[in-house]
Amino acid sequence: MATPAVQSFVEEKWQEAFKNLNRGEPGISGLMTISEAWRIASDFLRPRPLSEPRPRYNAHEIKAAFDMLAHTKLLYTVLENFLDDMHQQEYLIKQEVGEYMSRYEETDDPQVIAELVYRLVDWFNAWHPLAEYEFSSLPSIWRADDQNELSTSLGHIVTDHFTVAFHTHIYSILPPSFSRGFKALVSSTLPISYDDMSDSPSPDTFVWDSFFALGLVERYESLIASVCYEHIEDYIREVCAGQWSERMLADVRLWMDSRMLPWMRLPYARGAKDLNEATKMMSGVKSRFDYHICKVLCDLRTSEIFDIIIDFPDSKPALEDLKECLHRVDQRSILVASLRKANKKRLLHPGADTKDILAQYVSIIKCLRVIDPPGVLLYKVADPIRRYLRDRPDTIRCIVSDLVGDSENGTSLVDDNDPLVPLASRDVEDYTDSTWEPEPIDAGPDFRTNKPGDIISTLVSIYESKDLFVKELQVLLAQRLLNVKDGNYEKERRNIEILKVRFGEAALQVCEVMLRDMTDSRRTDQHVQSQKPSLLHPVIISRHFWPTLQTGTFILPQRLRAIQEDYSREYTAFKPDKKLVWLSHMGSVKIEVELQDRTLEVDVPPVSAAMVELFSERDRWSVDELIAQMGRIDRPSVMKGLLVLVDLGILKEEETDHYKLLEVAEEASADPGASRSAAMDELPGVQTAQQQQAEQMRVFWRFIEGMLTNLGALPLDRIQNMLKFAPGYDRNIEQLGMFMEAARREGMVVAKDGMWRLNR
Amino acid sequence: MKVTIKSWNAIAQWRWDTGKADQDDADEEDVCGICRVAYEGCCPACKMPGDDCPLIWGECSHIFHMHCLLKWIGTGQSKQLCPMDRRPWVTAERKINPSKSS
Ligand SMILES: [Zn+2]
Ligand SMILES: [Zn+2]
Ligand SMILES: [Zn+2]
Repeated sequence: MATPAVQSFVEEKWQEAFKNLNRGEPGISGLMTISEAWRIASDFLRPRPLSEPRPRYNAHEIKAAFDMLAHTKLLYTVLENFLDDMHQQEYLIKQEVGEYMSRYEETDDPQVIAELVYRLVDWFNAWHPLAEYEFSSLPSIWRADDQNELSTSLGHIVTDHFTVAFHTHIYSILPPSFSRGFKALVSSTLPISYDDMSDSPSPDTFVWDSFFALGLVERYESLIASVCYEHIEDYIREVCAGQWSERMLADVRLWMDSRMLPWMRLPYARGAKDLNEATKMMSGVKSRFDYHICKVLCDLRTSEIFDIIIDFPDSKPALEDLKECLHRVDQRSILVASLRKANKKRLLHPGADTKDILAQYVSIIKCLRVIDPPGVLLYKVADPIRRYLRDRPDTIRCIVSDLVGDSENGTSLVDDNDPLVPLASRDVEDYTDSTWEPEPIDAGPDFRTNKPGDIISTLVSIYESKDLFVKELQVLLAQRLLNVKDGNYEKERRNIEILKVRFGEAALQVCEVMLRDMTDSRRTDQHVQSQKPSLLHPVIISRHFWPTLQTGTFILPQRLRAIQEDYSREYTAFKPDKKLVWLSHMGSVKIEVELQDRTLEVDVPPVSAAMVELFSERDRWSVDELIAQMGRIDRPSVMKGLLVLVDLGILKEEETDHYKLLEVAEEASADPGASRSAAMDELPGVQTAQQQQAEQMRVFWRFIEGMLTNLGALPLDRIQNMLKFAPGYDRNIEQLGMFMEAARREGMVVAKDGMWRLNR
Repeated sequence: MKVTIKSWNAIAQWRWDTGKADQDDADEEDVCGICRVAYEGCCPACKMPGDDCPLIWGECSHIFHMHCLLKWIGTGQSKQLCPMDRRPWVTAERKINPSKSS
C-alpha cells in the first residue's frame, strides 16, 4: 500500500522506536503492542468508499493505540500513511465528479453542481479522521491539553493536514468547467427580484457551509466577487438606464443594504456572532462594492450623457448622481472623452442647425456646471464645439438673434432668470473675489474659470472680440427698425437697454443713434406732411451709424421722382443745412393697379413700382430696354423687380427676357405665393457683419498681393506685421490666417512650410 | 393700365449741405479738419450726430464740427485763426438758398 519511500521511513522510525521502547535492550513484548496499535490506527484512518461505512471502534482501544503510537513517535508515520492512502483512493471521488460534471454539461443546471458539492462534503466527512467523534471522546492526544504540548498541536496538525490534502485532491479532480457551474450556482443563491424590497428570503446557509468545508470560498474568491459585481451591474442597468428624472444612487444603495448585504454575509461574514460583528467584518467588502456601484452608475450615465443633456433640466437628478459618483470614482477624463465623441458624432456635423448646436452647447454648459462647478470639464468639452461654431457662418447671427429675442420658435438660449451681467473680460483675475478657488488639478494650462451664470458671455467669447457681435447686432437692429411699420420702437428700445448692460454703453451708442433716427424721421415727416402732404414717408438715417446698406440708385420714372424731389425740397426748407440722399432700392411702394379685368393694391419694392410705371406707358419691355431706361441698375436687381410683378400676375415673361403686361389675367401657372414672399421677405439690402468683414478683407488682398509680388514667400506673421501699415487694417493673425486659407482654396496663393506665396 | 401710388416708405440719408455738388455718395467723404471725423459723424465730445453736433462754416470756406472749432478757438495757441489756413476765423452767414440739388 505504502510507497517504498514511506516504507523505508516507517522502517527507520520503527528502529528508533524499538530502541526507545527497550531502552537499548532487546525485547519483543512491547513490539507486539506497537504493531497492534499501528494496525488499529491505520484501519481507523483508512479512507473508504462511501458505500463501506466506517466500523464502530471502541474509543478506548483507539485511544490506547494512538497513545502508544504517540509514545513511540510513530504518529506522524501513521498520518503520512493515511495521506498516502487518500491519494490511492482519490479515484473513487474522481469517478463520481466525472459523472456529476457530465450531467451538468448536459443539463446546465447549477443544482447538479450543488449535489456534487454536497457529495464532496460527504466524502470529506467520511475521510475526516475526527469527523465522527465528539471532541470529548477524542483520543487525549488530539485534545488540547496544556500538559502535553505535542498532543495539543497534534490534533490540529492531523486535521489541517487532512483538510489541505483533501482540498488539494478535489481541486485537482474538478475540471475547468466546474468554475462555470460554481459561478452559476453562486448566482442562483442571489436574491433575484429587483423590485420586491419587502421580504428577502433567508439565504441558503447550508450550501455555503458546504462551500466553506470544501475550501471553495477561498479558492473561488474572485469568482464569487465577480458574481456580486455582475449582479450589481445587471441591477443598475435594469433599474437606472434611461431613468434620469430621479436620483437613483440612493435607491441602489438601499437595495444593496437590504437585499445584497444579508446575502453577502454568507461569504464575507462567516462566523460573525451578531449583526454588529458582521457589519464590522464586511466593512472593507462593502466599501469595495459601494465603489463598484458608483463606477457602474458612472459608466452608465457617461454612456448616456449626450441624451441626458438633451433632456436637461428634467435630467438634473441624473447629473447629480453622476456628480456624486465622479466624486468617488475618478472617471472625469472618460466622461470628457465620451461626451466629446458623442458631440462630434451627433452634433458637430453639417446636417445640424447652428441654432441646435448652440442650444445643445448651452445645455452642455448648464449640465456640466451641475457636475463640475469650477468648469474644468466644460472647458475640455466645449473647445471643439466652440471651434466648430466659430467656423460656421451664421453663428453670430444666431446668437445675436437670440440676444434680441428674435428666435423664431420662441425657445431662447438664455433663461430670463439668467443674471444680466456685463461681459466678463476673460484675462483679468479678480483677486478680491471671495468665492475664488484654486483651479482644479485636472485643469489644463489654458483653463480659465468661467464666471458662472453668464451663458451669453460664454457664447460671445467664442469669438476673440465682441466687435463682430456688436456689428451683427447693428445689422439686425437695422433690419428690425426698418421693418417697424407702426412707429412703435419700444421693444427695440428695451432690447438696446438690455444689451447695453452686456456690451457696454459705448458699443451700443451706434444703436442709440439708429433708434433716434427712427423717431426723428417720424417727427420730420409729421412736419413735412403738415407743410405739404406727401405720399412719401421716409426713414432718414445717419450714415456711418447704420450698417452698410445697399447703395447705388436708378433713374426713377418722372412721377416717382417728382414725389421724391418735392419731399427733398420740404426737408431742406425744414433743415436748411441738410439735404437728402435717397436709397432708392430700399423701402416699398403701395400702388393700386387698375387693369381691364381687375384692380390690385400691392406693396412692391421701388424697383418694381418704377417698372409698373414703365409698363403703364408701353405694355412690352425687354430686360435690356428696362436697364437702358432705368440707368445705373444691375441686372439681378431688374430680374428681382420683374419677378415680383410676375408673381403678382401683373407681368408675364413672353419669351426669354421679354415681358408683357397682363391687362387680362391669365391662369396662374404655379403657386405664386411662395416665390413672391421669398422675394419680398428678404430684408432690404443690409449686409451682415460677416459679409462686411469679408468685403473689407478683399480690400486688404491688394496689399497682400503687392507684398508677395515684391517679396516672394512670406510667413503669416510677417504678412500680418506689414499689413498693419495698410490703412484701417485691424485684423488679428487668426483672421488673417483664415483669410489666407480661403485664398489658398481659391487658388490665389500656395502655402509651403508656413510660407505663403502667390500662385503663379 | 392705370397706376395710382398710395404711399411710399423710403429710406434716405441726410447730408450736411457743404455746398459741394455731390451727386454721388461714392465720393470721398468729407471729414472735419480738426477731429478727422466725417461731418455726418459727430465730434469727439458728442454722441449724437446731426442737429446735436452741427457744422460751422467759415468765410474761408473751411467747415468744421462746430464743437471742434469752438474748442480750438478756445485754446490760446489758436489765436482765433482757422486751423487749416491760419487766417482769422470768420463764421460765414449760411445762405438761405443752398446749392441746387441736381
Ligand atoms: Zn470735428
Ligand atoms: Zn459735437
Ligand atoms: Zn479756413
